Amino acid sequence: MVQQAPGVRIDGLTVVYKTPAGELPAVRGIDLTLEPGSITGIVGESGSGKSTLALSLLNAVQPPGRIAAGRVEIDGLGDVVGLAGEQLRKARGRHIGYVFQAAQNSLNPLKTVGKQLLDLGRSHGVEDLRGLVREAKDLLGRMGLDGARVLDSHQHELSGGMRQRVGIMLALVLNAHLVVLDEPTTALDMITQANILKIVREVHAERGLTTLVITHDIGVVAEVADRLAVMYGGRLVEQGPTREVLGAPRHPYTKGLIRAIPRLVGDIDEAQALPGRPPTLATVPKEGCVFRERCALRMDVCDTVDPQAVADGPRTVACHAVTVTVKEHA
Amino acid sequence: MSATLVPETASAASTMRRNFWRGVWRVMKRKPSRMAGVVILAGFILMAVVGPMLLPEHLPGDTSSITQPPSWEHWFGTDPQGRDVLALVVKGSRYVLLTAAVTALITVVAGTAIGLFSGFKRGRWDTVLMRLTDMKLTIPGLPLLLVLATVWQFGSPLQMGLVLGLLGWGGVARAVRSQTLSLRERGFIEAARGLGLSTSHIIGRELLPSMAPYIAMNMLISVTGAVYSQVGLFFLGVLPYESDNWGVMLNLAVFQAGAMVTPTALGYLLGPLLAILLLTLAIVLVVDAMDEIFNPRLREE
Amino acid sequence: MITGTGVVKTFKQRGKLLGAREVRALRGVDFAIPKGGAASFIGESGCGKTTLGRIIAGLESYDEGEIAIDGVSMSALKPKQRQPHFRKIQMIHQDPYSALNPTRTIHQTLHAPLSLRARQTGRPKSWIEERAAEVLTLVGLDPGTVLSRYPHQLSGGMRQRVVIARALTVDPEMLVADEAVSMIDVSLRLGILALLKDLRERLGVRVLFITHDVATARYIGDDGELYVIYRGQVVERGPVDTIIADPVHPYTQSLLSAIPVLHGLELPGEQPVVPLESLDDSRSEDGCLFAPRCPFRQERCTDERPLLQVTEGVPQEHACFYPERRSVIARPMSEV
Repeated sequence: MVQQAPGVRIDGLTVVYKTPAGELPAVRGIDLTLEPGSITGIVGESGSGKSTLALSLLNAVQPPGRIAAGRVEIDGLGDVVGLAGEQLRKARGRHIGYVFQAAQNSLNPLKTVGKQLLDLGRSHGVEDLRGLVREAKDLLGRMGLDGARVLDSHQHELSGGMRQRVGIMLALVLNAHLVVLDEPTTALDMITQANILKIVREVHAERGLTTLVITHDIGVVAEVADRLAVMYGGRLVEQGPTREVLGAPRHPYTKGLIRAIPRLVGDIDEAQALPGRPPTLATVPKEGCVFRERCALRMDVCDTVDPQAVADGPRTVACHAVTVTVKEHA
Repeated sequence: MSATLVPETASAASTMRRNFWRGVWRVMKRKPSRMAGVVILAGFILMAVVGPMLLPEHLPGDTSSITQPPSWEHWFGTDPQGRDVLALVVKGSRYVLLTAAVTALITVVAGTAIGLFSGFKRGRWDTVLMRLTDMKLTIPGLPLLLVLATVWQFGSPLQMGLVLGLLGWGGVARAVRSQTLSLRERGFIEAARGLGLSTSHIIGRELLPSMAPYIAMNMLISVTGAVYSQVGLFFLGVLPYESDNWGVMLNLAVFQAGAMVTPTALGYLLGPLLAILLLTLAIVLVVDAMDEIFNPRLREE
Repeated sequence: MITGTGVVKTFKQRGKLLGAREVRALRGVDFAIPKGGAASFIGESGCGKTTLGRIIAGLESYDEGEIAIDGVSMSALKPKQRQPHFRKIQMIHQDPYSALNPTRTIHQTLHAPLSLRARQTGRPKSWIEERAAEVLTLVGLDPGTVLSRYPHQLSGGMRQRVVIARALTVDPEMLVADEAVSMIDVSLRLGILALLKDLRERLGVRVLFITHDVATARYIGDDGELYVIYRGQVVERGPVDTIIADPVHPYTQSLLSAIPVLHGLELPGEQPVVPLESLDDSRSEDGCLFAPRCPFRQERCTDERPLLQVTEGVPQEHACFYPERRSVIARPMSEV
């Protein structure tokens, strides 16, 4: 069993959903590497495929969706796409902890947190249940909660921020070292959000994790992630070290997204909404660049050729307009 | 822009209606089973409306061929009086379907009205009406019907439908009330109130269409309920045998012709049984489409 | 002028075995929104900001105090008589998905309030169609393509625009936008905020913006007033930019400190305030309501409750015994 942070290599991942209009890709040709011990943030709007990508890490894409192509290699597990049945179930929880999007609702309302913890332990064949409870209490205590009291509580007795912490505890208690947080702070207040993000950072460092954060909020990624990956229409359009991407975004979508964030200071008119609307599964262009409908830099080539991700040091961008300028400089 | 809009919207309502029926057609076409359901249901309605007109008031019995097994001449054989079973099924369908229609109408109208009123007004009215509904729901239907049968003869299907309908609206009322309670918290109802729209608009135009699939489903299900109840009553033999009803046929097939032991009478039993089965099947198949018909998203897709 | 004085609302939770539990949603709130003005209520969920917004829109009753719309006191009127006054104040809900009836087309949705309006004002039927197209154009939608659609055929941003258009059909004097952009895609949020600002400027509609995200409050208009609400009490009140730049109440400072810093673009504030997390006594009713979580609390804070006041040297109103400016918000790197 791997005890240190595992690395993850996603290679040419394509996930399709079966619809009346045929099989449509929700995620297409994604290459992404999660370095061991890093926090990676994936940012995207609704329909960008970010949650589908996260589920693929667990090989948990539900029908009508399926992984159509590609590999997801996790250190100590191998290619997750090839796993099935009992092997897969063991891997989830033991190797990969998943904190669900609505941690507010992912707890069973009829059982106490402690009961659910024991259920989790039993289903993974944990022999030392006392040890498991001790570990859970430690984790909760670490996150500023009274472990014994929380384990004795039902979901409705906990606040949103507390439930989110319980979700994180359940993801980590089996000693998983790869953690996926899907929209960890959606529906939480600002102060609670800041709290949870702090906890994510600290727990990540203390336990030596590899963490993936999925969110629609660039601010969340900016606060926690080392690397930032931007998804649009099922494609990864830009990725790189968070500070570099935020400081000097290259893809027109990243630029637009950052410019669309309401700011506390500065000229109000500087911030601007992106024109158009994000594509859905059915309206994503079949060929050419997925972003061209909303793009200010649109060229003829964008209509026909899908831009490939071009690496430039630690950063990659998938945009014809950007590639042209990079080449010109070179 | 507005100049071009005015003539266009004069026909907006009729366009909408056309679109609705086109949508219904699309939903029905999606599954062959639904089409089959509609065809069977239409067949039964046609049979109930036209069938008895084509047959003589008193079916001629052929005493030389009593209780015959199915043959080319008599598809389901004959009864102990030598009458054609298929013709009896056709004659009986009018009573059965008319009762079912009246029951469904009363169930839906009373249930929806009471449920809507209760859920929308809340407070004291709600408490009173729901206690009433609870009380009604606790009344055991069959024993009450048996008691009523000693008083009324249920010679007319309308009478039967009225009684079954008055006994059956409780479930619909409860379902509609809970739907109303959850819908009235939705933003669009609150917005309608904030805009000062009338209560009749809110109930008729905003609430009812959203509940249409539930109401339609309940209506169809109460049709099957009504068929079972009346056929059951007649089968038990507590009602006079004069009525043309599938229940009477079943009773006679079992107790008079001895269909359980006499193979030749099997057709007499199968005829009405198959009719009930087919009718129920048709309704189940059509119910499947209700959600898609009344939900614009599912309809258009 | 739409004003409120000493508005109190208490929710009673029934059903508990040992009597009713009371939740104080609002503890005597004053506010005033002038003609064409803008105001924002900010605070965490459960602070009472939504309840206050609903009371102002006439969707909720209040226990004490007074709401006056253009000088007409609402308490003096019977519920039926209040309706025409409250109709001038229209609510924009957080969730554009439940705010539109899924079984009705946009045309039907707009037609109902417009035909009511036409009847009241004696306008001809043709006016209804003209006005429907007009309000849709006002919110930046193309009437030709939108009118015949059902809500599910529109994106979240477009739906929210339709919701705003529907509110405009009754010529409101104020829009109450409750977290109106929180469920809309990030790239489209600013468009809705800009629309609200634009409607203010063009039509003179007041906007009351309710949010937990302080940054969005600026976009309704930098001339607006900010009300920071904590547990049913206004703890700081003043011009938006003054409060953002120089907050004096520790709660406001905590809220502003919690806003994510865009590292790489911004530098974090030098004195961020992180509230204490006390799980048990944070609901204490004695003294300052924020005291149990306040990192700067003094003895006086737990005994006595500070009221909204003006003190020397502080431009905004605040409810703190020890107001002090702290540099909490992130600054763009370009500015430093």
